[in-house]
Amino acid sequence: MRAILASWEEIFREAAARWTLLAYFALSTLFILLFAAAVNLDVVNGALAGAKLFGQSVDLGGRSIDIDHLVLGFESGFSGFLYIVGTFLAIFATAHLVPRLQEKGTIDLYLSRPVGRVPMLLSRYTGGLLLAAANLVYLLGSLWAIIFWKTRVAHPRFLLAGLSILFTIAALLAFAFLAGVVTSSTGVSLMTTYAMFFLAALLAAHAKISAAMSSEWSARLVDGLYWVFPKTAELGRATVALVGGRGTFRGVADMNYFAVYGSTALFLLASLTLACWLFSRKDF
Amino acid sequence: METPPIQAIGLRKVYRTRFGSRRIEALAGIDLDVRPGEIFGLLGPNGAGKTTTVKILLGLTRPTAGEALLAGIPSADPESRRHVGYLPEGHRFPGYLTAAQTLSIFGRMSGLDARTVKGRIPGLLERVRLSDWTHVRVRKFSKGMTQRLGLAAALVHEPDILLLDEPTDGVDPVGRREIRDLLREEARRGATILLNSHLLSEIERTCDRVAVLRQGRVAAQGTIEELTAARTSRYRMVVSSADDALISSLRETGATIERVNGHLVVSTRDLEHVNALVDRVRGRGALLSELSPVRSSLEDIFVDLVAPSPSPPVPLSGSIADAESQTGGRGDGGRQE
Repeated sequence: MRAILASWEEIFREAAARWTLLAYFALSTLFILLFAAAVNLDVVNGALAGAKLFGQSVDLGGRSIDIDHLVLGFESGFSGFLYIVGTFLAIFATAHLVPRLQEKGTIDLYLSRPVGRVPMLLSRYTGGLLLAAANLVYLLGSLWAIIFWKTRVAHPRFLLAGLSILFTIAALLAFAFLAGVVTSSTGVSLMTTYAMFFLAALLAAHAKISAAMSSEWSARLVDGLYWVFPKTAELGRATVALVGGRGTFRGVADMNYFAVYGSTALFLLASLTLACWLFSRKDF
Repeated sequence: METPPIQAIGLRKVYRTRFGSRRIEALAGIDLDVRPGEIFGLLGPNGAGKTTTVKILLGLTRPTAGEALLAGIPSADPESRRHVGYLPEGHRFPGYLTAAQTLSIFGRMSGLDARTVKGRIPGLLERVRLSDWTHVRVRKFSKGMTQRLGLAAALVHEPDILLLDEPTDGVDPVGRREIRDLLREEARRGATILLNSHLLSEIERTCDRVAVLRQGRVAAQGTIEELTAARTSRYRMVVSSADDALISSLRETGATIERVNGHLVVSTRDLEHVNALVDRVRGRGALLSELSPVRSSLEDIFVDLVAPSPSPPVPLSGSIADAESQTGGRGDGGRQE
């Protein structure tokens, strides 16, 4: 446990030294402060009677808007935005953890300690996830608190969106670790992981793609890849729907959540297991 | 019998090129036993297998065959490294950490609790003359300072076994002496030290025993005295007023002759040959101004063992011969076919 805590500390110190963490927190804080200062809502009996944005009155057309509905709309939209941006930033900030560990002159320092290779790799993985989680908790938690302060409306489901985003980050980071163990290159890890994100999102339309295929084997290949890869598009929609309700997206209502989260969890486990196995067999 | 702290039994390592088309035999069967409290030097030219041996001992590389043990525990078991301090060659500590943070993190990775590490850091940095740099980031350190920090990180958990790869690399002469003193202190404390260095003078001054590796095999092993004594049978004569006839006469006997500042320097390895040469010098009326046995340095031994020699090998005795008989008895430390 001491070794794991030391490894986590090192990851956070590195993030701070590389300005990754500070820049992320600074940008998040700026966004939070802007949001807190710019939005002024006049809520009367649970309905929005007036609103000001940057001090300017917003014309509501004389209508009274249900504040609960408005907040839910904002929160679900923001969770969709954060799903993309948060995932990309988290991978960008952590994909180097394995390639840097495997650098000549560095790996010897770590592996000469009485820590097994698998715990060493997993401590880096969990450290990376903790870093991503800290960022998500800060941004989502602050926004949630500000929204509650301004509107007195509290949706705990908005916070749950963070879990769904973190799950996606966990799956993609496991793949980035696998690429890092194999190639020892941060650039390749980043590129392959981002490519995986987009390819998996494209494969959400696997039924249409395979139907357009000329041969049966290629159609099966597309369907197979869809089930092997993480469900990045569905996870994005599921994250938004988790906050805004099943009616947010067309197709979400009949989405098989178990298949989406389950197959992505399998992808995560397979990637991480393979990364650990290769790392434990590698000669340095 | 006490378990040797560092032990290699028939270590073999074959590397394959990326597509497996070529095999490179880095180690061809290494046997080593380092005794408790001993400073043991590992010598050899580049590619002899020194670093591979150390990496296998630490579990960084898996052997193709054979076994490596630290404190009697197989190197594949992380527990074998519980009481081991390692200073790799060309190590790179994270530049964003300060000296104190580096020792804290690597100390805790070695199993120490935070409070113990914190208590040890000032004394340790004092020992390696880095106490003024405690809170400075490692990226600002010179090579010598990084090396001393590496030594402190290897010592932070007070290990019983130290594996040091070129510990004085990049360190100034004063620093080298300090590191030598520090290693002797550690040995007095009871630590067993395996020193891997190209600096033969460093090894000669520091180590109790050495092993010379050549092409993945132990070409010689023993104390410095044993190794040098085995090759002491060389004698040097300085002759004055020698004429050409005497030079020809001496040369006929097979002695090595060279002119230095008007004198004749004659050398040979055989004592009877020396006496015959003395008779010839005196018979021709020349002056014998010096006659002395020449003791080989570790460097001579090293060069003899690792350099490909066109001349037939000199007969050996003692541990070198013993070691070479393991390599096929060719006397040049070559591979056994």
